[in-house]
This record gives sequence, structure tokens and C-alpha cells, in this order.
Amino acid sequence: MDFTPIIDGFGIVLQPTNLLYCLVGVLIGMLIGVLPGLGPAATIAILLPITYGIEPVSAIIMLAGIFYGAQYGGTITSVLLRLPGEASSVVTVFDGFAMAKQGRAGAALGIAAIGSFIGGTVSIIGLSVLAPVVAGYALDFGPPEYAALGLLGVLLVSTVGNGGKLKAIIAASIGLLIATVGRDTFTGAERFTFANLNLADGIDFVPIAMGLFGLGEILYNLEENHKKVHAPAKVTKVWPSRKDLSDSKGAIARGSGIGFGLGVLPGGGAVLSSLVAYAVEKRRAKQPERFGRGAIEGVAAPETANNAAATSSFIPLLTLGIPANATMALMFGALLIQGVQPGPQLVDSHPDIFWGVINSMYIGNILLLIMSIPMVGIFVRILRVRPAILAPITALITMLGVYTVNNSVFDIYLVIVFGVVGYLMKKFGFDPGPMVLAFVLGTLIESSARQSLLIFGGDPTGFVSRPISGTILAAILAVVLFPLVRKVIRARRGEPADVRTPEEAAVSQAPAETPDRETTEAK
Amino acid sequence: MTIIVGYLDTPEGRAALETGIAEAALRDLPLVVVNSPRRGAPVDVDMLAPEQVSAIVDRATDHGVRVEVRQPLHGDSLAETLESVAREVDASLVVIGLRHRSPVGKLILGSTAQRILLDASVPVLAVKADR
Amino acid sequence: MSTTSEPARQQAAEVDILEELKAELAHDLEEERPPHAGPLAQVAAGLVTLALGVAGMVLALGYGLGSLTEPGPGLWPFAVAVAVTALSIAQIVFGREAQDTEQFTRSSALTGLGVLSLIGLAALLPVIGFEVPSLVLMVIWLRFLGGESWRLTAVISVVTVAAFYALFVLALSIPLPRLI
Repeated sequence: MDFTPIIDGFGIVLQPTNLLYCLVGVLIGMLIGVLPGLGPAATIAILLPITYGIEPVSAIIMLAGIFYGAQYGGTITSVLLRLPGEASSVVTVFDGFAMAKQGRAGAALGIAAIGSFIGGTVSIIGLSVLAPVVAGYALDFGPPEYAALGLLGVLLVSTVGNGGKLKAIIAASIGLLIATVGRDTFTGAERFTFANLNLADGIDFVPIAMGLFGLGEILYNLEENHKKVHAPAKVTKVWPSRKDLSDSKGAIARGSGIGFGLGVLPGGGAVLSSLVAYAVEKRRAKQPERFGRGAIEGVAAPETANNAAATSSFIPLLTLGIPANATMALMFGALLIQGVQPGPQLVDSHPDIFWGVINSMYIGNILLLIMSIPMVGIFVRILRVRPAILAPITALITMLGVYTVNNSVFDIYLVIVFGVVGYLMKKFGFDPGPMVLAFVLGTLIESSARQSLLIFGGDPTGFVSRPISGTILAAILAVVLFPLVRKVIRARRGEPADVRTPEEAAVSQAPAETPDRETTEAK
Repeated sequence: MTIIVGYLDTPEGRAALETGIAEAALRDLPLVVVNSPRRGAPVDVDMLAPEQVSAIVDRATDHGVRVEVRQPLHGDSLAETLESVAREVDASLVVIGLRHRSPVGKLILGSTAQRILLDASVPVLAVKADR
Repeated sequence: MSTTSEPARQQAAEVDILEELKAELAHDLEEERPPHAGPLAQVAAGLVTLALGVAGMVLALGYGLGSLTEPGPGLWPFAVAVAVTALSIAQIVFGREAQDTEQFTRSSALTGLGVLSLIGLAALLPVIGFEVPSLVLMVIWLRFLGGESWRLTAVISVVTVAAFYALFVLALSIPLPRLI
């Protein structure tokens, strides 16, 4: 294996500016992970205008830092206040808070930090090894493969995860529709523009993202009914004992594997991994009754898994150009803004971005580990700020921020429109995530599909006859039919149609924006 | 008939609690300790932890006083919340802690104590911290 | 007999406590939001997306479907719109029981006010610059949406707008319509 690009990647990361962006990203990530309300997807959306002014590598390094930083931030409130800051930290509440009540909050936070670090690092190593391989393999992909893959990605993100699957697919389909607004590249015809000049070039990604995720989240949170107030938490000894460390060994190892594996799947990701890792540990344990009462594995496993998953979810984006979740869709958009086309050619055409981003995650994880323990006190202080004060500030950042992109007031109106749409979607149970993902992929899917039709001479069975696209289509069919089949089997057996463990029920209620709920995957 | 103490974990608050307990013992009335953090943020320094609440309960019962600790959240006005609890428990006295503020401090930060003193419908006993 | 059933019963009791904790957590999180809306909301949602789908189909037909060998501009949008329409019908028919919607409450009116203030900001921005509309927005959101005191509202509004000024205009020299 040629190590030069990897080493060059480190060279890029270790530049002072990039180190700074990494630090800023991780800090912001931890901050918003602590704060209930905004999550990484919303924050990344709101900060997109910043990426216009800086290098693509630096931008993605910072945005990536926000993403995996938020995984750890959410842990702090889960452990100290029984308040999950992010959906991927909900499972940590059970044992983490129990440990806090036993005076072992420090150990819980410490093992979470260590587990996050190890999980993240293992995932990055896997990423470094796997990504070039997948990218090389994907170079054989043609338009039919991309069309099928894009569709599969959209479907998986909509269907894997908690509830509202039908609505998620509807949202995704509408996203595909919105992507068609503007001039059709194949024929030059204008579609859905209603003679509005601003729409002639299609709807810009940034206002949609900022509106749906950023403003939509802010508006949604305005209706939050803050009923519970917690006393400030005291954290004393912030380091796990040697016994804690040795007890968690297995959990961390398994969590890393589970997180890495599930993070790669579109629609999988941090929340699912944390749930699965917890369940696996509980099932393996010789004394499962310990779980929920302060079993350290109950903290180590999900925390390791969610960081590993956050990292590995970059793989489909960096190697295939297919975002695996809503946050990756935002990264996809951010790259496009910079004129970088994600895809299997990325590793060759922009090795600085490819390896720069991957290697920045090593540094970011180290920063996380270093900062997480001493800064816990500061982060918990942030929680004393009333959301009513943060709301207008973030709203202003969003409004003024989008203006700075194109000096266009129309963009502000677009953000407001999509903000209202995002708010209404959440009120009515639609996930904005699949919509953004579908919007981002829509152009790719359509042009690939049309190119494929041209290749096949108008014969759609060509999709099936090609081995790779045929397999992907079979997978699509399986994904679509599986839940229906399951319902029928359950009905026959007389079981309830929708079976969820209490953990999953708790996660589905989790706050921190819809993007953080499993189907959209942000936290 | 009850005695209300507006409580924060400060020297003034503790002084108010001691006075409240003494008054309750003197008048042989039950004590209602009101600890009211502001609504909104997930964490508020004013909120008492469960251990602190039980410490208060122990302190009162040590002096033979029947005590109840309430932790209602207040919105715009702590004085209003105290007032509504006072009406609810039929308070005959409100005890609060008073902090010395410079004229500038009183101007910028306003005075909850002043609101309580002026708006209360029952006698208010304002206590300074022991120096 | 008693020795084998005892630990089982104990375990069952312990498991129940954990279930209780999980249920409590789910309940806590749910309490913070408005109550669930009924089947009417589900149907309404389906109707809205149905309208979108049908509109999409009609408009796409207008753009010309072409054929499979020569796809017209409307082919792909039509296919997608068909999917939207079909799924919306499924939602209307099957989706009434779900518990994933929220009611509009009085606080929703506040959200509406927030949106209006944003529209106001967008409208006034090119006319009188960003400082005044931002200040007004902050006041509306802090005082009327957030229930903060006038004192705090004033302080935070001024400080925030000043900070934005310092950041955008002084530090980054980003062009924004402004008064000063």
C-alpha cells in the first residue's frame, strides 16, 4: 500500500490553521452536544456559509469535528443530569446516571471519553484501510450503479430506524421532486420555475439545508415546554479506576466493531449502534441485572459505538459519493459548494481532502480525549443559559449568515420558507433528513438514470441484467418488502404489529432535533 | 396557617431558614420552604439537589417543626410565584433573605426582595446573613 | 422449589425497575412537547402531500414525458410525483393511528410571531440595514417569545447586535447592508 498520500494527509492536518479548525469544530461539537435543542446537523447547516470563505479541507475538518464532538457532548448531560443531549446518548442515561447517583459520575464520563477515543480511532484505521479499496472497486461503477445506489441510499435512510417510515419516504420523494426544479441539463427545459428568475438555476442547497435543519429546528424548539430544572451537578474524581478500565475492555472492543459496521450502512449510524452495542453487552453479561444500575459496560459500549459509527459513516461519502445520513448529506453539499465532486475519484483527484479529513479525525479524537475531562465543568455551565436567549442569537446567525453567501435577500426568504416547512414537517411527523438527503442526491440519481436509459437504448431491464446494479436493485426490493413481510408474519402469529423495546421507545422520543433521530442520523 | 421561607443556598437564604424555623417553632405552625429556580434552562444554580432538600427537612424536624419543601418553577417573577404559594398554603408570614446591594447593583439587577416586600399580602420578615 | 423461584422473582423485580426507569425517561422527554394530534392531522398531512404529488404529476405531464428511449424533461419528475401520490394515498388510508404528530398550541402562536419577525427582518434589511431590524428581532424574541425581563432583553439585544457588528463589519469586512 502506498503510504505517501496518507503521510501527506497528516502534513495537511498538522498545519496550524487546520489544527485550529479541528479544535474549533470539536469544541463547537461538544458544546452543542451538551445543549439540548440544536444538534450537529442543525449546527453544520447554520455554519455552511462559513465554508465559503475557507479551504475545502479546512471546512470539512471543522464540520467533521462538530459531528463526532457532538457524540461525546451528549454524554455529559446524560450522565450528570439524566438528560440525553443527543439521541445517540439516550442509552447512556440508564447506566451513566445510575453511576452518577453512586458518586461515580467521573468514572462514567472518563470511560465514555476513553471509549469514544478508542472507538473513533479503530474506526479511522478501518476507514483508512477500507476506503481506498472501496473507492477502487467503485471505479467500475457506471451510471446504472449510481442510480441504483443513490436510490438504495435514500430508501435505507428513510426506512431504517424508528417509526414514520411511510412519511419518511414521502419526504424523500418530495426531496427528489424539489431537486428537479430549474433547468433540465439534458434538454434545457425549465421545470417548476413558474417564470421566477431566481429558480431558473434550481434551488440552492445551502438555503434548503439552513432552512430545514437550522431554522426549522429553532422554530420547533420554541414550543418546548421546559418542565424540569436540574440542580448543578458536581463532578469530583474524573477518572475510571483500573477495575473499571479492565471491566470495560470487552465492551469497548465490541462497541468499536459494532459502531464501525453499523455506521457504514446508510440509515444506520450512531443512534442504532449505541442501541445495538448496549443490547449486546446486556445479553452477553453474566449478570444482566447489573444493567441500568451502574454497569460500566452500559456506558462504555454505547459511547464507543456511537463515536465509531460517526466516523465510519464517512466511508460511503468519501468513497462512493453517497451520503449515509443527513449530516453526511450536508458534508456532500459543503463539498459541492467548494467545487469538489464526491465520488470514487475523490481519493485520486483530491487526495488532500480525502486523507486530510480522515487524518484530522485522529487529531480530533485526541483533542476530544484531552479536552473532555477538564472541560466538563465548563460545558455543564453552558446549560444554565436559558434556551430563550440562545434562540434569537442562532436565528440571527442563520438569517445574516445566508445573506452573506450571495448578498441575496431572496436567499433569506428561502430559508424562512424552508424553515417553516421544516417546522411543519416535524409537527406532522415527517423527518426533514430524508428530504435533504434525497434533494442532495436527486440530481445524481436522475442524471444517472437517464444516462442509463440512453446506454440501454430505452430498455429498463438493463438495470437488472448488470450484476452490480441488479444486486443493488434486489437489495432495494428487500428493503421495501421486508417491513411489510414482517407485519404480515406478525399478524399471522397474533403478535402486536409494532414491537419496540423500551429503549427504542425512549430513543424515539429523544430530543435534539429530528436529524438526530435514527432515520436522519446526525448525532 | 403556615410560615413560608423563600430559600436559596446562600448565607442569606440559610439565615432566612433559621429564622423561619425559629418562628415556626415559636408560633407552632408548619413551615413551607419554597425553593424556586427559573424556568427554561436545564440547569439552574438555584435548584436544590435532593440531598440539600433532605438536609433542610432534617434541620426543621430537629427543631420539632413540621416542614414541606416545594420547588415550583417561576417564569417572569419570583415574587409572583411566592405570592401564589403563599395564598395556596394560607401563609401568615413570609421570611426572605436580604442581600446588601450597592445602589448600582440595585439599579441594574433589580430587586426581587423589593417586589416581594411591596406586593406581599402578608407580613414579610427580611433577614440579613450573619456576618 | 423456593430456591429456584426466589432468584427468578428477584430478577423479575429488578428488571421491572429498569423498565420503569426507561418508561420514566421516555415519559419525561415526551412531556416537554405538546400533546399528540389525532387522526385528523395524519389525514391532513397525507392530503397536503397528495396535493403536491398530483400537482407534480400534472406539471410534469405538461413538460413532456418523452419515451424511454428519449426521456423528456417531465419523465423523471412524473415518476417521482406518482410515487408521492401513491404513498400519500397509503398514508391517508393506513396512517391514521400513528402517534408522531403534535398539536398546535398557544405556544405555536409564538412560533408564528417568530416567523413574522423573520420576514420583517428580511424585508427591512435592504432598506435600513441590519442593525435596527436585528435589534427589533432580538427584542421580540427575548421579551415576547422568551418572557425575559425588559432589563435583560435590552442588555442582551444591544450586546448581540454590537457583537455581530464587530464580527461581520469590523473583523471580517463582510458586506452587509448597514446604517453605520
